[in-house]
Amino acid sequence: MSHKPTITDTLQFPADSKVPGALFGVGAVGLIATIIGYFLDADQFFFSYLVSFTFFSGIALSALIMVMLHHITKSSWGVVFRRISESFTANIWIWAIFVVPILFGIHNLYHWSHPELLEYGTEEYDKIVSGKSPFLNSTFFIIRQVIYFAIWGFLGYKLHKVSVQMDETNDWGLSALLRKVSAPGILLFAFTVAFAGFDWLMSLDPHWFSTMFGVYFFAINFQAFWPIMILIVFYLHKQGLLTNTIRQVHIYDLGAWFFAFTVFYAYIAFSQFLLIYYANLPEETLWYYHRMEGGWQYLLYGSLIFRFAVPFLVLLNREAKKNRMILGGMSALVLIIHFAEIYWIAMPTLYDHGFSFSWMDITAFLGLGGVFFGLFFRQFKQNDMIPKNDPKLEDCLSKSYHQ
Amino acid sequence: MSKYQYVPEPALVKGDHDFSSLTRLVTDINLRETPKAWYLAMMGANALLMLMVVAIGYLIWEGTGIWGLNNPVGWGWAIINFVWWVGIGHAGTLISAILFLFRQDWRTAINRFAEAMTIFAVMCAGVFPAIHVGRIWVVYWMFPIPNQMAMWPNFNSPLLWDVFAVSTYFTVSLLFWYVGLVPDLATIRDRATDKIRKVAYGIFSLGWTGSNRHWWNYEKAYMILAGLATPLVLSVHTIVSFDFAVSMIPGWHTTIFPPYFVAGAIFSGFAMVLTLMIVARKIYGMKDIMTDDHMEKMNIVILVTGSMVGFAYIMEFFIAWYSGVEYEKAIFMLRATGPYAWAYWAMMTCNVFSPQFFWSKKLRRSVGFTFFISIVVNIGMWFERFVITVTSLANDYLPSSWDYYSPTIWDVMTYVGTFGLFFTMFLLFLRFLPMIALAEVKAVIPLADPHNYDEETNEYVAPKVEVPEPQSEKV
Amino acid sequence: MSTTEDQKIHGILAEFRNPKELTDVAKKMVNSGYSKFDTFSPFPIHGMDKAMNLKKSKLGWIVLGHGILGFSIAIAMMYFMSVIDYPLNISGKPFFNAPAWVPITFELTVLLSAFGAVFGMFFLNGLPKLHNPLFNSERFKKATDDGFFACIEADDDMFEAEKVKALFQEAGATHIEEVYE
Repeated sequence: MSHKPTITDTLQFPADSKVPGALFGVGAVGLIATIIGYFLDADQFFFSYLVSFTFFSGIALSALIMVMLHHITKSSWGVVFRRISESFTANIWIWAIFVVPILFGIHNLYHWSHPELLEYGTEEYDKIVSGKSPFLNSTFFIIRQVIYFAIWGFLGYKLHKVSVQMDETNDWGLSALLRKVSAPGILLFAFTVAFAGFDWLMSLDPHWFSTMFGVYFFAINFQAFWPIMILIVFYLHKQGLLTNTIRQVHIYDLGAWFFAFTVFYAYIAFSQFLLIYYANLPEETLWYYHRMEGGWQYLLYGSLIFRFAVPFLVLLNREAKKNRMILGGMSALVLIIHFAEIYWIAMPTLYDHGFSFSWMDITAFLGLGGVFFGLFFRQFKQNDMIPKNDPKLEDCLSKSYHQ
Repeated sequence: MSKYQYVPEPALVKGDHDFSSLTRLVTDINLRETPKAWYLAMMGANALLMLMVVAIGYLIWEGTGIWGLNNPVGWGWAIINFVWWVGIGHAGTLISAILFLFRQDWRTAINRFAEAMTIFAVMCAGVFPAIHVGRIWVVYWMFPIPNQMAMWPNFNSPLLWDVFAVSTYFTVSLLFWYVGLVPDLATIRDRATDKIRKVAYGIFSLGWTGSNRHWWNYEKAYMILAGLATPLVLSVHTIVSFDFAVSMIPGWHTTIFPPYFVAGAIFSGFAMVLTLMIVARKIYGMKDIMTDDHMEKMNIVILVTGSMVGFAYIMEFFIAWYSGVEYEKAIFMLRATGPYAWAYWAMMTCNVFSPQFFWSKKLRRSVGFTFFISIVVNIGMWFERFVITVTSLANDYLPSSWDYYSPTIWDVMTYVGTFGLFFTMFLLFLRFLPMIALAEVKAVIPLADPHNYDEETNEYVAPKVEVPEPQSEKV
Repeated sequence: MSTTEDQKIHGILAEFRNPKELTDVAKKMVNSGYSKFDTFSPFPIHGMDKAMNLKKSKLGWIVLGHGILGFSIAIAMMYFMSVIDYPLNISGKPFFNAPAWVPITFELTVLLSAFGAVFGMFFLNGLPKLHNPLFNSERFKKATDDGFFACIEADDDMFEAEKVKALFQEAGATHIEEVYE
C-alpha cells in the first residue's frame, strides 16, 4: 500500500533570523567601499562591478530557467528545492536596479559606446564597430536592458506568486497556469539570455563574435547554479531546517545535475574553443589569443582542470554524490572558478598586457553578493520553504534511490 | 477556485492489460504466420533496394563523375543524405538513453522501435561516406591499418573523427539495442512452438531466465550504457557539424553548429519515429501501448527542438551581420535571396514555422496532423542540410567561380534507394523482433510495483491520486 | 520423462502470484539463511535487491577499467602515428594537436566502456549459458511472460527438500515442483 509521506519539519524559516540583516550589512559595506574605489579608478570600478553583477545575475537567471523547466516537464524530483529557486526569481525585478551602474559606466566598459569611432574619415574611425552601431549603441543598449529585466522580472515574480498561492489555496489547477507561463517563458528566456550574454560580456570586445556565445553564457551560469543550490541546502540543514524533508536522495539529484551540467559546460566551452582554434581566423582567434597570454592563460587552464576535469572525475562516482564533504568541496571549487572564468572573459579587455587583480573585485563581489543573498533570505523567510500543496510533492517526498 | 483544471497524469498503458495480455499483444506478431501484406511491402522495399544497388554499382564502375558535383560544389547529395540519415538516427538512442536518465517512463512504449530505426538509419548514412570516396577499393585508408605506404590517417581531419564517431555510435547503439532485446527474445523463445524459432531465439536470448540476480547486473549495465550513450549521441552530431564548422567557408564556420546540429538531429529523429509509429501502431493494433499521450509528448519534443533550431537560425543570421565580415554577411543574404532562396524558405517553413502549430493542444493530439507535420519536418531537415552544404559552396569567396548545382538522376536514385535499405531492414525487424520493449513496459505498469499490493491479502490495489478540494482564497 | 530416481535434483521451484509475494518470499529465504537461491520474474522488480540482500554490482569497476584502456589506446595510437612514426605538418598545428584529438579519444573511451558494460554484464551473469536445468520445467516458461518464480538450489548447505517445500507452502506458492538436472 502506498503510504502518504508527511512533512515533520517546520516549514518556516525563523522569522527572527538575523541572516538577511547581516547580509545586507555586508552588502552595504562592500558597496560603499567599492564606490570609494570609483573615485580612485573608475575603469577598475566598473569592470569589477560588471564581473560580480554578471556572477549573481547568472544565479537568478539559472534559478528562473530551472523553475520553468521543472514546471514544463511536470517533474517531481526537485519540488523540495523549488521554493529556493523561486525565492531567487521573485527578486529579479528588484535586482534590476543594479544594472543601472553599468548604464552609467557604459563609456568605461564598452569601447563601442564612444561616438568618435563612428565618424568616417577621422583617425578614430572604426569600420567594424561603425557597422555594428545599429545594434551597439547606448540608447538601444539601455532599451535592451529594460526589456530583459521586464521579461525576467515578470516571469520570476509571477512564478513565485502563483506557487505561493497554491500553498494557500490547495488548488492544483494552478499547476496548469504555471505551465502556461513557463512554456513561452522558456522561449523568451532563450533569446533574452543569449542577447544579455552578447551585451554584457561579448561586446566588451566589439570586434569579436561567436554564434555560440549565448549558449556558452547560459552553460557557465547553469553549471554554477547547482553548487549554489547544494550549498544553500547544506546551510539549511546546518541550521536544523528541513532535515527530514530534504533527504540525501534529493541532494543526490542535485549532485547528478551538477555532474551533468559540468559535462554540458565542458562540451560547449570546448566546442567554441576548438572551432575558433582550428580555423584560426584572425577576427576570431585574437580574442582567445589575448586570453592565453600575460598570465590570463592560467585562468583558462584552471577552468579546464578545476571546472571540468576534477569535478567530472570526482562526481563520476555515485558514492561521491552522496558524500557531503565531497559535494560541498566541489561546489565551492566550481563557484570560485566560475567567478574566475567570468573574470577571464571580461578583464583582459581592460588589462590586455597581463593579469591584474584589484581589491575592488573583492568588495564588489561582497557588496553585490551581500545584497543578492540578503534579498533572497528576506524573500525566503516570508513563505513556507517547501511548496507544501504541490501535486508532485508526494512523489518527491517518497523518492528512493534507483539502481 | 481558479479557472484552471488539474489533469492527472495519464496511465502509460491504456486498456485493461495484465502481464500476459501484454506478452501476447507484442509477441503474437512474431509468432503468427507471415501476413501476405508483409510480403507485398517487402517486395516494394526490395525493389527500392535494388535501385540503390544499381546506382552504387554504376558509381563504382564509372566514378563520382556521374553525380551532379561541379567545380565549386564538390560536396553534394552524398553529404546531405549522410547528415540527414545520421540525424534521423539520433532519436533512438536519445529516447533510450537520455529519457532513461531523466526517468521518463513513457519512453518504454517507443524505445525499441526508435532504436531499431536508429540502427537502420545509421546504416543508410554509412553507405554515403563509403561510396563517395570514388575509389571504393581503397576505402580501408580511412582506418589506421598498417600499409605498404607507411602512411597513417590524418587525425587532425574532422572527416576521420567522423569515421570513429559514426562507427562507435553504430556499435554502441547496436549493443544497447541488443541488451534490451535479450529478455524479450527469451519471451519469444519460451512461447515458440516450432523448432526453428526455438533454436533461433534460444541462441540469441543467450539462456536468459529472468533471474533477479541477473536483472540486478542487467539494470546496472543498462544504466551505464545510458550514461555512455548520452554524451555519445551528442558527440556524433557534434562531430558531423565539425565536418563543416572547422573549415573557413562562410556559413559553415560558425560556433553554434555543434548544439544546433544536435537539436536538428533530435528534431528530425523524433519526426521519423512519429511517422513510423503512427503507421505501425495502426497496422499492428498497438494503440494501447503507443498512445495518443505518447504522441503528444513527442510533439512537444518536436516543438522544443524545432524552436531550438529556429533559435540557431536567428543567431546565425544575427551574428553574420554583427560580425561585420563581408563574406559572412553575403552568404546569409544569398541564402535568403539568392539562387537557392527556394530551398532556404522551404527549410524555414518546414523547420521553424510548421512545428509552431504544436503550441495547440488540439493539434498535438491530432493523429492526422501529427503525421503530416512529421513528414514536413523531415523534408525541412533535408533542405537544411542542402542549404548549408550547397549555398556555401556554390557562392564562395570568388564570384567568378560561382556555379549552380543540380543533382543528376544517379544522385536521386541513390538517395531513394537508401529508403529501400531502410524499409527492408525495418520490415525484417517488425516481422522477427518484438517491436515493443516488453519487459520494460511490464515494469512500468502499476501491477509491477510491489507497493501496489495489499499488505495482508497480497491482492492488487490500484493506486489512486486524490485531488484536494481547493479552498477559496483567504486574504 | 524417465524415472526420477536416477536423476540428480537441481532444486525446488515454486511459483507465486505477483511481484509482492515474490519479494516477500525472497526476504523469507534470506532470513531463513539460504544463500543459493534465486527469484525469477519477467521484469526487474523494484526493491528486489534489498529483499534478496544483493551486493552492489561490480560492473562499474569493469566499465571504468575498459574506459581507461580505451582512453590510453586512443592517445597512444595517435601519438605514435602522428608524432613518432610519420609526423606531418597540418595547417601549422603542433604534431601533438591535443584539442583536435579530443573527439577520437572520447569516441574510443566510450566504445571500450560500452564493451565493458555489455560483455561485463554477460560475464557477471554467466551468460550465454548453454543449458539450464530450470528449462526442464515446462511451467518455468512463464517466467518470461507473467510468472513469478523462486528457486532454492540443492547445492545450498541447508537444502532439505521438505523444509524448502514447507517454506514455499507457507509463503503462499501456487505451485511447487522439484527440478532435476
